[in-house]
Amino acid sequence: MNRKEFLADCGKMSLAGMALSLFPWLQSCSDEAKREVRGEKARIGVIGTGSRGIFHIKHLLQMPSVEVVALCDDYRPHLEDAAQYYPEAKLYDDYRRLLEDRDVQGVIIATPLYLHAPMTLDAMEAGKHVFCEKAMAYTQEDCLRVYERRKELGGVLLIGQQRLFDPKYIKAMSMIHEGRIGDVVGVRNYWYRNNNWRRDVPSPELERRINWRLYGEYSRGLMTELACHQLQNGSWSLGMLPEQVMGSGHLIHWTKEDERDVYDTVSAIFTYPNGVNMTFESIISNKHFGMGEQILGSKGTIDLVSGLYYSDEPMPAGSGMHRLVAQIENGIMSNSVFAGTSWAAETSPLAPGLPITPNVTVNSGESTVGAEADGSKEIIEAFAHAVITGKQPAKVLEESYYASQFALLADRAMHENAILTLDERYKIPYEPIRS
Amino acid sequence: MASEFRYSDKNPDHPVAYAGFYAMHTRIETVVTDIDEERARELADGIEAEVKSLERLFNRFDDTSPLAVVNARGAREAVAVDDELFMALELCEAFRRGTGGYFDIATSTSAAAAGRASCMLDPAAHTVRLACDDVRLDLGGFAKGYALERARRLAVDAGVENGVLNFGNSSVAALGRHPYGEWWAIGVEHTKIQSVAAHEFRLRDSALSVSGRSLRGEYHIVNPMTGAAVAGDELIAVEGRSALVAEVLSTALYAAPRAKREAVMAQYEGYAALELWCRDGGGCEIYRIGRR
Repeated sequence: MNRKEFLADCGKMSLAGMALSLFPWLQSCSDEAKREVRGEKARIGVIGTGSRGIFHIKHLLQMPSVEVVALCDDYRPHLEDAAQYYPEAKLYDDYRRLLEDRDVQGVIIATPLYLHAPMTLDAMEAGKHVFCEKAMAYTQEDCLRVYERRKELGGVLLIGQQRLFDPKYIKAMSMIHEGRIGDVVGVRNYWYRNNNWRRDVPSPELERRINWRLYGEYSRGLMTELACHQLQNGSWSLGMLPEQVMGSGHLIHWTKEDERDVYDTVSAIFTYPNGVNMTFESIISNKHFGMGEQILGSKGTIDLVSGLYYSDEPMPAGSGMHRLVAQIENGIMSNSVFAGTSWAAETSPLAPGLPITPNVTVNSGESTVGAEADGSKEIIEAFAHAVITGKQPAKVLEESYYASQFALLADRAMHENAILTLDERYKIPYEPIRS
Repeated sequence: MASEFRYSDKNPDHPVAYAGFYAMHTRIETVVTDIDEERARELADGIEAEVKSLERLFNRFDDTSPLAVVNARGAREAVAVDDELFMALELCEAFRRGTGGYFDIATSTSAAAAGRASCMLDPAAHTVRLACDDVRLDLGGFAKGYALERARRLAVDAGVENGVLNFGNSSVAALGRHPYGEWWAIGVEHTKIQSVAAHEFRLRDSALSVSGRSLRGEYHIVNPMTGAAVAGDELIAVEGRSALVAEVLSTALYAAPRAKREAVMAQYEGYAALELWCRDGGGCEIYRIGRR
């Protein structure tokens, strides 16, 4: 099933009840949900029209149920770029003016991390539904503040954890919850790149505005920009939250060409109540291993990025003995090629993994903007649907909240060189996604 | 390790049973034809139990195994062992002598370099004593061929006339013939050209063993004389009556220098050995070692 078929199939899955009960935020895929919004349009404003904002705009252009009515950026070249896609949209250089625009029902916020919480809070106060890029906020306190305020105001809030909407992740997690890989005994995440993570700056005074990711004043670096995406793999697969976090971070390579102060190498270990560890590692001065997210089970492994399943008891590649059986069943005889040097279970990495869905698109993780077919389009579609219905998709906000909390906690653990647990005051009701 | 069993009577003229399980660090599979499902299932269970029992007996890394006891105490004293282990050690010593020392179960080279046995066997007392302090015995190179031979006999005793037993692709034993041919046509694939037969063996009541670099490309077979891994890119394939002898010979021939291989084969009547040299991307040169 390819992506299109998967989405088309969402309605059928609701009949089985399986996918929607496991992943209730996919309700917007159901036939019933689509009928609910037929002919209606979500009137959207986009705040922040840099590279990620444009990435979302290109998806919005493909959605008949969306009308982009307003665009906002305080950096004029970015705003003009975006205006080319939606010439009819009103243009703003101050997001507060956009929030006063009564024509705007919902906003997509794609701005630097330190602006996420204030902009989200202002937008919610203005009565707008909000999609905000991850991480949820620059501080743990602000994550909680945003979460609590949304609960009080009751609007829609989605955070850009698009893997929750990626069909191959959804399929993989179903398999894991069904026990196909046995007990989950480890979760590995890594994200390697070899680039300086910089954007070109037209003049020096714009350095910090454009390269905000590199400065701790605006960003929490690799933990909020990359790890945040992957940390939900642990709670999603295990159905529980980490108990403690430790980590180490350093600036080791990109030290000469700018004044950056965020780490360029980080490693973190998240330990769950049952003793299982989840790791995250990122280095941006070596890209050999690219991006990886693997759920390790007592009977097998699922590589979430490639969408491949590996059994710990795999058949030898293309088992010749099975082919021999097929020959006899079909009344034929031919050469059975399988003899050779010893096949050992330890050579299983040589055995090709089994695709968990056909036509899987693999994201290398190299792009610093976003990747196609990674759930980004689906999450925006879900947001547009929610803007029309006014209904908050279940569970997804809590998953996003904790991904941000633990990314920020790990960053703290690195800076404080300590093993940390999540403070009680940051704990919100959490219902694991388990079948 | 879960067993896999499948019985198919899709072809009513020749019903076929498949069984597979994991043991001895590899996948062990059997295909037998023309017997009823109940007997096929009993045979599959019997082979699995037998092989796993042998795996325990010969596992030097299991502290409770008889072999581990020999390794732990054998340098200081003569250790009494049961019939099966004693017989296995006797066979190994016979093979050591019969291969010019190129098949050796000792993990240390000190005895082999001196041309001596790695252990002394006392048939009257059924005891084993290790030759030197640093010698340990490893039956890994023997166990698979031995277990395959035992499995083959179980199949014969169960009345199987036609079938194939495959121990990790490197050791294959055939009973009778393919239902639609006069033999079982088993192709050997080289690590450099996978899924294509570098050579086809026609097995009929005979066995095949293949030795060479591992699938990962590692040189894992050690020359007992030097203790160094043998860095040969060729495969050695040996065919003959006994799965055990074929296994021992393919290992010994791979470990032996090319110039000495013919002398090893001269000791074994009824066995044929080939060297298969293949190039990346295709093309193989095949040499026969000795005469059948």
